[in-house]
Amino acid sequence: MKSFVSRRLSSAALTIAVLALLVFWAQRQKSTLGDASFGTGYVLLAAIFFLASYNVRKKLPTLPWASSSDWLQAHIYVALGSAAIFGLHVEWRLPTGIFDSTLAMLYLATFVSGIVGLFWTRSIPARLARVSEEVIYERIPMLRSQLCERAQEAVLETVRSTGSATLGEFYSRQMHGYFEKTRGLGYFLRPNNRVRRRLLAELTEMSRYLSPPEQATCEQLFAMVRRRDDLDFHAALQWRLKAWLFLHIGLTYPLLAVACLHGALAHLFDGGLL
Amino acid sequence: MPQSEVTASRPQRWDVPFGDAMREEDVDQLLQIEPFLGMDAERFPAALPLRGILQNDTRVNHYQDGAIIVREGDYGGSAFLVVQGKARVVLAGLDSDVLGRQPDAKPGFLNSLFRQFRNPQLPEVRSHVTADTDLVANDSLEVADLAQTRVFLQDVPRVLENTRSVVLHTGEIFGELAALTRSPRTATVLADGEAVLLEIRWQGLRDLMRRTEALRRHIERLYRENSLRVHLRETPLLSNLPDEHLEAVAEATVFETHGDFQWHETFDSSASGDAAEAVVAEPLIAEEGSTCEGLVLVRSGFARLSHRFGHGHRTVAYLGKGQVFGLAEAIQSSLKKSPVPMSNSLRALGYVDVLQIPQSVLEEHVFPHVSQQLLSEAAEKHAVYCGEHHCDLQSDSIGGEQAQVETPLLEFLVEQRFINGEQAMLVDLDRCTRCDDCIRACAATHDNNPRFIRHGFRHGSTMVAHACMHCVDPVCMIGCPTGAIGRDRTTGIVQINDLTCIGCSTCANSCPYDNIRMVEVRDSSDAIVIDESTKQPIYKATKCDLCADLPMGPACQHACPHDALVRMDLGNLGELSEWVNR
Ligand code: HEM
Repeated sequence: MKSFVSRRLSSAALTIAVLALLVFWAQRQKSTLGDASFGTGYVLLAAIFFLASYNVRKKLPTLPWASSSDWLQAHIYVALGSAAIFGLHVEWRLPTGIFDSTLAMLYLATFVSGIVGLFWTRSIPARLARVSEEVIYERIPMLRSQLCERAQEAVLETVRSTGSATLGEFYSRQMHGYFEKTRGLGYFLRPNNRVRRRLLAELTEMSRYLSPPEQATCEQLFAMVRRRDDLDFHAALQWRLKAWLFLHIGLTYPLLAVACLHGALAHLFDGGLL
Repeated sequence: MPQSEVTASRPQRWDVPFGDAMREEDVDQLLQIEPFLGMDAERFPAALPLRGILQNDTRVNHYQDGAIIVREGDYGGSAFLVVQGKARVVLAGLDSDVLGRQPDAKPGFLNSLFRQFRNPQLPEVRSHVTADTDLVANDSLEVADLAQTRVFLQDVPRVLENTRSVVLHTGEIFGELAALTRSPRTATVLADGEAVLLEIRWQGLRDLMRRTEALRRHIERLYRENSLRVHLRETPLLSNLPDEHLEAVAEATVFETHGDFQWHETFDSSASGDAAEAVVAEPLIAEEGSTCEGLVLVRSGFARLSHRFGHGHRTVAYLGKGQVFGLAEAIQSSLKKSPVPMSNSLRALGYVDVLQIPQSVLEEHVFPHVSQQLLSEAAEKHAVYCGEHHCDLQSDSIGGEQAQVETPLLEFLVEQRFINGEQAMLVDLDRCTRCDDCIRACAATHDNNPRFIRHGFRHGSTMVAHACMHCVDPVCMIGCPTGAIGRDRTTGIVQINDLTCIGCSTCANSCPYDNIRMVEVRDSSDAIVIDESTKQPIYKATKCDLCADLPMGPACQHACPHDALVRMDLGNLGELSEWVNR
């Protein structure tokens, strides 16, 4: 089994070699007073087509050629290489016209979304794995409402059996909302354990006023607060892993369309399409 | 929600007899020969009469000279009784080409690419729930079993020139070991001249054995003896032993079984008891500190090699089929001329079948035929050095590069009995983005029904998902009344024949890993299929089939963009350690 490090090294070496050839060719065109723009443009368009075709590949899981992992490796290195081709194509200056600027922005946005996405793809899983429980995204709403019900029942049962409302009142004032509501956008963008810490601290403070049976329920609530926080953490980070890809694909198709149009226009202004 | 119901007859055990219909007179004739003559028909229940078993679970096969009856390495679900003529057991391994092995026919590129577009939109849609003869003829699993195409060994005298073989005569039974232990055939058997054999599928053999004490004993004896010599030859230091000494070793070898054959019935993966107590409760085969009494060879099943540590026992390795315990101590005892204590303990995990070669026999018949240098090398290779933090293994015959897998992971795999998995689904949670591409790929290749759950037991960031592991010992097959669940003959993949599955849930309940799911089936109009007599829904057992019919192997692994999911043989810890440390 090839290690990740050696795979990275060989793919990077191959990408650099291909790019060097391309740069060499473009320089030669220039030095012989030729025009490399059509050449680099077509290579860039081909690269973008290849990158976009990964979406089609993913829809065909039974395609016997190369595994999805091999496709992704090719995708990443072609995408990284495409940035250099893009630079060569625009001669390292951002275009000025509205149409060309839109195209450049679309390319750059897709590229940056890819880079950020790759970073998240490689860093978020390990953060999720540190949470003790592994949860399936689609099950989170169900698990949350089960937890809310269990917390409520445990508190009600304790109020009923002990006749004391101390825990009940604390629960409905401080904790019910936490168990019932979903987290706000802020949490989804930057998950943190502030609320969890605050609630656990308040619960600890509260426990000194509780009778032993109430304290037993309090222990259960501690665990439930933690579990709910873990579920929210999974929900936020798993959502991010899905959302970035949604954006990445969302940018791909307009990029493809505008790039094709740009090519057609370039030919048109160069003296006709044919 | 399903709209309505439709009735169908529930499949029954003998809907599909084993071979072409046996006539009444054929059964009468069988009842005139041993071992059936001596069987008491009264001991069989009315629902499972002796005649019924012979009629439905056996078939008469005619072979010409040189025809291959069973091939070494194939997974077999039946045993054979020589009715007429002779059969020759070839003990040495023969090449695949000589044995006429054909590569599996895979569907073409376009066929495999577009199959997902033919999938029904609804879950668990079936066009048929019961096997009728036409359907069986079109079903590849059954065809492999029923079409009695014969492969011949060409130029038998030349092929057998330098190989050891044994002749079996009328009345002898063979193939029972592979049939009953769900393991590959250990030898090739050919027809020696024209021969007639009765093939008994394992469900029938099991029922016959259950009710006939003499047959049970006879088969157990065969089962113990038949592959002994083959096994001994595969053992380090015995491979080149002169024949007469090997014979002496074979004579003195003691057979032992430890643990429970049906271990899955009491195994509870979710039980969270005291780990140290759980180890001590495992049947002890040899104890650390006791004097060395010889060599232990594992014949089937698994055993835990452990070393005392603190108040518990640290797992050093697990030994499976063909692995050896105690060789270093046996050699040292012989070199020092006095028995040395065992440095580790060996305990049965579930069920294990072992052979013990006594120390005196080793000293008399084995060690004198091996050079001093080879002996010290073997002792060095098989020694286990236990330090403060972990134990180091030198030998590849006691578990490969097991030392490279960290002890906690080893403990986890042993505790949960995942060591049984030949195609376990491991997910590296540090790389898995939870994108579910694996699930979608699985659904796309199985009529829109995913055949695993991306969830399971975890150790750190390694998760063993709920997907059929195609176990070394597939205990799910034990109770299946119809043989609907079985191993593919050549690949060993455990598959379920949907048409002959009667939905009894025995396999799902037997699977210790909870990897088989019972599902209600429906027709293409979303009507749930119910049994016409009981009016209860008809269930089918479903599980991963390892995409056996796809050219690129398991779709789940092929679809994972991040190299997070892998199908792996957990008996090969070298491979596991490579994957963990990639
Ligand atoms: C610049 C043009 C790019 C285009 C047109 C493009 C297009 C795509 C498309 C269509 C997919 C398939 C998504 C799906 O169907 O699930 C994809 C996936 C992906 N892209 Fe890009 N991409 C580009 C650049 C990049 C870059 C620069 C990177 C990072 C270096 C990147 C990293 C990824 C990753 C990691 C995935 C797979 C994510 C997953 O399956 O979890 N992309 N891209």
